[in-house]
Order: sequence, then C-alpha cells, then structure tokens
Amino acid sequence: MKSQRLVNRSRRKETRTAFAFLLLPVTVYLIWIIGPMLYTFYLSLTEWDMFTSPTFVGLANFRRLAADPVFHRSLLNNLKWMVVFITVPIAAGLSLAMVLNRKVRGSTFFKASFFMPMVLSLVVAGLVWSWLYNPAHGLINTVLRGIGLPQLARGWLANASTVMESIIAVGVWRQVGYVMVFYLAGLQSVNKDLVDASRVDGAGSWKSFRHVVLPQLAPITTVVIVISIIDSLRVFALVAVMTDGGPHNASNVLANYIYLTGFQWYQMGYAAAIAVVLFLLAFVFIVFYLSRIAREEDHA
Amino acid sequence: MKRNRKLVMAALTLLLLPAAPFLFAGGQQEVEDEKNVIVYNSFLSDPDARVVDEALVEMYQDRNPHVTVVHSIVAHETYKDALPAYLRAENPPDVLTWMAGETMRFYAERDLLLDLTDLWADESWDEDYTEGFRELSSYEGVPYFVPTNYYWWAVYYQKSVFEEHGLEPPETWDEFLEVCETLKANGVTPFTIGTRGRWTAGGWFDILNMRVNGPEFHMSLMDGNESYNDPRVLDVFENYWRPLIDNGYFIDDAAAYSWSEAIPFMTSGEAAMFLMGDFIRDAYPAEYEDDLGFFQFPIIDPNIPVGIDAPTDGFMIPANTRNPELAKDFVAFMGSLEAQEYMAQELGRLGTHSKIDRSILTESQIQGIELVESADVVAQFYGRDTHDEMQDRGYDAFVEFWENTGDAQRILDRLEEDRVRIFQ
Amino acid sequence: MPDYRSRRKVRKKIVSWIVFFTVLLVTTVWLTPILVALFTSVRDYDDIILRGFFALPEEVSFDSYFAAWRQGRMRQYLPNSFLITLPALGATLLLSSLSAYAISRFRFPGRRPIYYMFIFGMMLPLQILMIPVFGLSNAMGLYDTYIGLIAIHTAFFLGFNTFVLKNYMSTVPPQIFDSAHIDGCSELRIWWQIMLPLTLPAFAALATLLFTWIFNDYLWALILVRTGDKMPVTTGLASLQGEFVTDWTVIMAGSLVGTIPTLMVFVFLQRYFIEGLTLGANK
Repeated sequence: MKSQRLVNRSRRKETRTAFAFLLLPVTVYLIWIIGPMLYTFYLSLTEWDMFTSPTFVGLANFRRLAADPVFHRSLLNNLKWMVVFITVPIAAGLSLAMVLNRKVRGSTFFKASFFMPMVLSLVVAGLVWSWLYNPAHGLINTVLRGIGLPQLARGWLANASTVMESIIAVGVWRQVGYVMVFYLAGLQSVNKDLVDASRVDGAGSWKSFRHVVLPQLAPITTVVIVISIIDSLRVFALVAVMTDGGPHNASNVLANYIYLTGFQWYQMGYAAAIAVVLFLLAFVFIVFYLSRIAREEDHA
Repeated sequence: MKRNRKLVMAALTLLLLPAAPFLFAGGQQEVEDEKNVIVYNSFLSDPDARVVDEALVEMYQDRNPHVTVVHSIVAHETYKDALPAYLRAENPPDVLTWMAGETMRFYAERDLLLDLTDLWADESWDEDYTEGFRELSSYEGVPYFVPTNYYWWAVYYQKSVFEEHGLEPPETWDEFLEVCETLKANGVTPFTIGTRGRWTAGGWFDILNMRVNGPEFHMSLMDGNESYNDPRVLDVFENYWRPLIDNGYFIDDAAAYSWSEAIPFMTSGEAAMFLMGDFIRDAYPAEYEDDLGFFQFPIIDPNIPVGIDAPTDGFMIPANTRNPELAKDFVAFMGSLEAQEYMAQELGRLGTHSKIDRSILTESQIQGIELVESADVVAQFYGRDTHDEMQDRGYDAFVEFWENTGDAQRILDRLEEDRVRIFQ
Repeated sequence: MPDYRSRRKVRKKIVSWIVFFTVLLVTTVWLTPILVALFTSVRDYDDIILRGFFALPEEVSFDSYFAAWRQGRMRQYLPNSFLITLPALGATLLLSSLSAYAISRFRFPGRRPIYYMFIFGMMLPLQILMIPVFGLSNAMGLYDTYIGLIAIHTAFFLGFNTFVLKNYMSTVPPQIFDSAHIDGCSELRIWWQIMLPLTLPAFAALATLLFTWIFNDYLWALILVRTGDKMPVTTGLASLQGEFVTDWTVIMAGSLVGTIPTLMVFVFLQRYFIEGLTLGANK
C-alpha cells in the first residue's frame, strides 16, 4: 500500500519533470506550427482579403476549387511530380548506390558529385538551370544545334508542352544524390553472408540482388518513397524561381498557387482551401508513416 | 574515438558559437529615436532609377539633417506582392511608392491610406497639378496619393536598322504591316518581347484594343462592364493580334525571357522594335541609347479617338504611419517642382507638376509629352486599370493565346467566366 | 577449368570498366550545371550573346563577381543569411534537445501524442502554414524582422530534430542516468552534463544538415522579409533575376558566391551531413 503510493508519487514527479522539459518546445510548436495549421482549416471556410476580418462562407471555396481549371492543372502537376519522384530518382539512386558501394575507382569523388546538387539552394539550382534552358544562348540548345539536332532545340521553359518536365528534371537532378545517400546507408546493414550464400547457390548477380538484397532494403525503400511523396507535394521554390507557374499556369503547382492566390490577389480564404487540399493529400502518407513508427515503438 | 569526439565538439562550437550573441540581442534594431526616423520603401529597382531615387533621398537629408530616412529599394515584382503587408503592418513604412488610379483606390477604399487633402492644399498642388492628375490620385474626391512622374508607352525602334532598310516610322496599320514585312524579308525579326513577366503582353492587348475598338470601350472592359467574349474583343485577337504572331513578327520563345532579357535581341540587331514603356531606357545599354527612337503606335481606324497607355507613379502614406507629419514633409519634397525637375532630367520621366520648365527636357521627352498630350484618352495600363485578379487571369490568357493563336474563342470564353465571377 | 576462370576474369574486368565509364559519364552530366555556372561567371554577357556560348572568352574577367557583390548586394545578403541561420540553428537544437530528452527518458501520460505531434509536423507540407504564420508574425510585430524568420525556422525544425534526437537518445542505456539520479544530480544537470555530451555526434550531424536547410530556405524568407536590405541570399538572388537588368554572368556569379557557405560546410563536414540525412531513417 505504501509502496504503491511511493510509485504514484515518483510517477507524478516524473510527469512534472517531463512537462517542465517539454514546456518551452511544445509551446513554441503549438504557437508556430499546430495553431497555424488549425487556423488554415478555419480560414478555408471564410472569405478574407487580409484587410478586413474574415467572413464565414461555408464550403464555397471548395465548390469554387472544383471548377477552377488552374487548380486542376496544379494538382495534376503535383501528381506528375510525384509519379516521377517515386520512380526515376529511386531507380537511379539505388543503381548508383549499388555500384558505388563496391570499391569502384574514384567512388568518393563520384559520390560527392552526386551529393553536390543537394547542397545548392533550390533558388541557385533554379537559376542555373534557367540559364541552361535559355532558348537562344543556353547550353542545352547550343549543344543540340551544334551536334546537328536543331529540330530538338526549343524554348524549354516557354512552352506549355515541355515546361513541367523541364522543371521536374531539375528536381530529379537534386533528388538522385539524396536517395543514393539513403541506399548507401541501407546497404551497410545488408547481410553480406546471405548475399554470398545466394551467390554460392548459383544465383546470378541480378537474381541475388532481386531476391536477397532488395528485400533487405525494403524498410529504406518505404522511407524513401514516403519522403519523395512529401517532397513532391512541397515543391515550390523551383517553380517560383524558374517560371512562377507559367507560361499560362502550365507549370503551376499547389504550393505556388497558394502563394499566388494568397499573396498576390489577397484571397486568403481561397488560398487556405487549396492548402487544405494539399494537407489532405499529405495526410494519407503522414498517417501511414506515423503508424509505422507507432508499430516500432510498440516493439521497442 | 576520443579524437573523433573532439572533432565533433570543435565542429559544433564552430557552428553554434557565433549564434549565441544573436540569441539574446533580439530587438536591438530599433534603438534610434523613432520620432525623427521615416522608413521609405520604393520600387525603383532598375539600376538608373535606383541611383536617382537614392540621390533624391540624399537631397532631402541634406536639408533636414535631424531626420533619418531609412530607405529600402525592393524589386518591382516583389514590391507588388509585399505592399498589402506593408500597409497592414503594425509599424508600416511611412512612405511608399505606388501607382495612381484603380490600383491605388483599392487600398484607399479599405481605409489603408492617409488622407492627403491638407497636404495638397498646403503645397498648392490643387492648382499646380492638372485636374486629370488630381482625379487619378483621389478616391471619392479625396486625394490619397501624390503623383510625381509619368511615362508613355510607344513602339521603340533602332533608328540605324530602319535606315539600313529604308524604313520610316509607320503611321497607319498598312504601313506598319509593310515595315514588319520588309524587316522580316531582310532577316530581321520585327519585334522583340519577353512575356515571362506577362504584363508585356498586356501592353499589346491595351493598344490593339484601344486602336480597334476605341478607348471608351477599352476602359469599360477594364471596369468589368463589357464581356471578354464580345465579338469586338475576338476581332482584336483574330484579325489584328493573331496575324502578327502567326507571321513570325515576334522573336521565338518569348515566354522564356523577362522584358529586360529581350533587349539584347534589339541591340544585337536580331530584332528591330519593342512595344514598351519609356523605362526601357533605364535598362537599355548606354552605348546604344542614341540609336533608340520611338513612335506612336500606328492608327488603325482614323475615326476612332486615340488612346495611349501613360502610367503615373507617385507616393502614398499608410494610414497607420507613426510619423504622419514627417512622412508628409518627405512626400512634399518628392512632389516639389525641384525634385520633379531633377527626376525628369536624370531619369527621363515626365514630371506631373504643370510648372515644370520644358526647356530642361530632352528632345525625346518633348516628343513624349506631345505624344501624351495629343491623345484623346490616357489609360494607365491593363494591370493598373482593371481588378487585381482580373489582371492576373487576363495576362495568363494573353500568354496562352501567344502560344495557341488558334484558340482565341476558347480562351476568351474562359476569361469571360472569370470576369463574371470577379466582378459579380 | 583454369581457362574458364581466366575468361571469366577478363569478362569481369571488361564489365567493371564499362561500369566505371558509365558512372564517369553520368557524373560529368551531373556536374555540368556547376561547370556551366563557373564558365559563365567569368565571361562577358555581350560576348556570349554575340559569339555564342562555347566561344573561348578573349579574357577571363571577374567583373561579374564584383557586380554581384556590390550592385547585386551579395555583400548584404550573405551576412543577413548568417544572422538568420545561426540563431535559428542554435535555438532549434537547444529546444529540441529538451523535448527529445523528455520523450526518450520519461514515461508520462501524453508522451505518445506529443511525440507523434512532432513527427506529424515534420512531414507537413509547410505551405499550408504560410498564411497564418504571415498573419501571426505580423500581429506580433515580427514582420520584416529576423526574429519572425528565426522563430518559424526554430519551430518548424523542432519536429525533425525531436524525432532524430529522441531516437538517438533512446540508444543510451538508462542505467547511466539512474545512477546519476541516485547520486543526487538534478534532471537539468543530467540533461546538460550527461545526455548532451553523449549525443554530440547526433547534434553535429543535425547541425550541418540544418545549417544547409535554413540557409537555403526560400519560402519563409519570401513571405516574412520584404525589405531589400534584410533579405537573405536566397530571396536576394531570386530578386537579382528580376531587378538586375538580366545579365546571366552576374546571376551565375551571385549564385556561386551564395553557395560558398553551404559548400564549405559540405566539404569539411560531409560525413556529418550524410549522417544527418540518414539519422531519421535508420535506427
């Protein structure tokens, strides 16, 4: 009886200490992250021009979204980005990791070269590539004309048909090294004995990769896919710097559309509604990721 | 392992140490005595304009040594996005550059601007500025704005290229088309343009619509009282604008370039003309400037009144400025004859003050004044005359049309849907 | 048998050379943009327009760097970036070490929800916070000040940091603390004198990574700092494109100068940088 009370008391003390530690970070987090997030939900149900106070309009903003071609285009572009991001950089990053994980000549240099784009800010990456894409004087068209393929030279960022792909290519350029880092780390923990055993059993390198290595990398792959999806929903700076969503919204994405509606037309309610859609898209994957972590916590 | 730890420590300290003082030195920026400080934000970000703006601030400071003007120049496009925040801030900048007309009234209507009636009276601007400028500066009869300079839109061209091909500035539509055809036949692209910032395309819509349908119809369209899928608008797109684009009278991939990036096509001789505002001079390379001339956009129908885009810029003061008297004093200086004459001389803009001494102006400025004064109607510009969101949709539509000239009807139908929603 | 083996060896060698050259080729493509930026920055823009991109420059000139530094105001933007990045970095690491410590060390009601809240926020598309955060910083008088920017960076990275640090701290055997506790150490001292030193490697990794992220931020700088002389490198560079009469040699020079700080961190602390990236994924 007495010991029970003692345990209770130390429990209570532990709780108090824990909350003392948490007070500052949690307050900051609630004020700057969680609160604003909830406020976005509220704003999405209002009309607000930033100058007067918000008026409640129910679901009107969402009804307008349903019929807004620019919103559809932006959403489609985000999905396009997502499809590319969960295929190309993952395939390329994994292949590079497989190759560079072995003792290839100069692998340190190679690795560093692929990490490099990650260190550049998206603004710098966007500016440099805008210059590469310059129709009249940029490297890409100059090379195409130089090697006798002038018919392939075009205004990469000026045409609705190529602009989105051209910007996504820059995203891929940055993402490959990022994905590679994850796989290189993952390969460290791949059981070499199992791989060797499979080779002894006569499995070709592809077969042993497919059936022994890849399954062991599955947890990493899951993480990489979730990160890639979230990244493709967050896309903003590249588009803002390279085209601002143009020409005529062909390269617009949700984040940029939020910025335009919110900060250029002062339609905060409508911008918040777009943000809510963005949130819902991400939410599915966040929940998936959280449940994974919860499972691990339970095992711990 | 031990050495490793040391290295980590060193690295961390390196990264974190410089942070420490700032953590605690938060709000030190505003130590100065606020009573004698005014914050002036300006959008005069092109190199030449920046120099003049800074010089004017310096002139004011010389005269008022007890006042500190905190002057920031913000890139034009950024400034536009930031303005609502400036105006709404708890401690807003005290003086802001901005544009006259609808785009200023938007803020006046929301009580965000300081009433400048007494300033206009004290400075006797009520007499010194023409009725037109006063109207542009007012909302419901009350002045909230001080116009200080304006400029004109025209067709800029390289005189040497015209000479080389025996061309004269065209006055009629037929002459205009002939000039374009001759240039093209000689391997020169008639027009350069960069539509990345989109508004350059708006300049083309404005002038074509005013020439074909008249300024009255144009202004009514800007006010949201006409339909975008009106046959008259379609006529402009299909029969005037479209042939110019389809015939290859513009440089390729215009959407890839900003307006200033389009200039080198002219100086390198690839293109010959540029429909632009006179601020083209701020960005035009000095060594080519003597070769730069301009002419009024040709008349298409002589029976229609002549309209022109001639935007007016100036100053306004946020309603909740903490230093209204000082802010007014500064604006009074910027609106003064002296400041305007300085600006007219150094930057080539036209002053709004009616007492400006015309003998100090250059030939091209005189030509510009004549251009504006001979017009029957002076418009501001597409983006300044119409609703903010309409402007955005309109610009997108123009750029889309540029790429898909066959889709005018579809594009205009969609624009009309936007107009109905925006002006409802 | 030996014959078969040597043939296999030759084949293996050929394959490894093919792999090597393929990787070399891809690497070259990967580095091209950087090399183009370097090459462009030492040229004269008129020369590029008139004689083409590949024309060998008649003279190598560093004028563009001077232009970017002075008229392009990189000399203002660079220090600004540090004034924002370093305090934010310090504050977010400090705060997250508190929360990570509490979550990893104590069992208390609400532990899981709080932990999940942090992870949840770390994965949020930050654009959905744009409008309220703008309003908030404006209401608090922090608009157009570094403090507003520092605050949002500090808060936003709390999620990621707490997640990473908590995982790292959980690997420290709890017995160490228990004995310290019995010796009468206060929790604050255990946190500061035992836990922090033990988790330094994680801090180093996080710090290098966060430095790059905060230094390279564009979104918050765009929304919260609107005056030219207060802008960090990212928004400064982006406006260079709009306001400087477009001269790509100057823009490239500015971009390279603006990359130097993060590049230094990467070159000298590459190991920690890479570690930081994977810390969140591997436990």
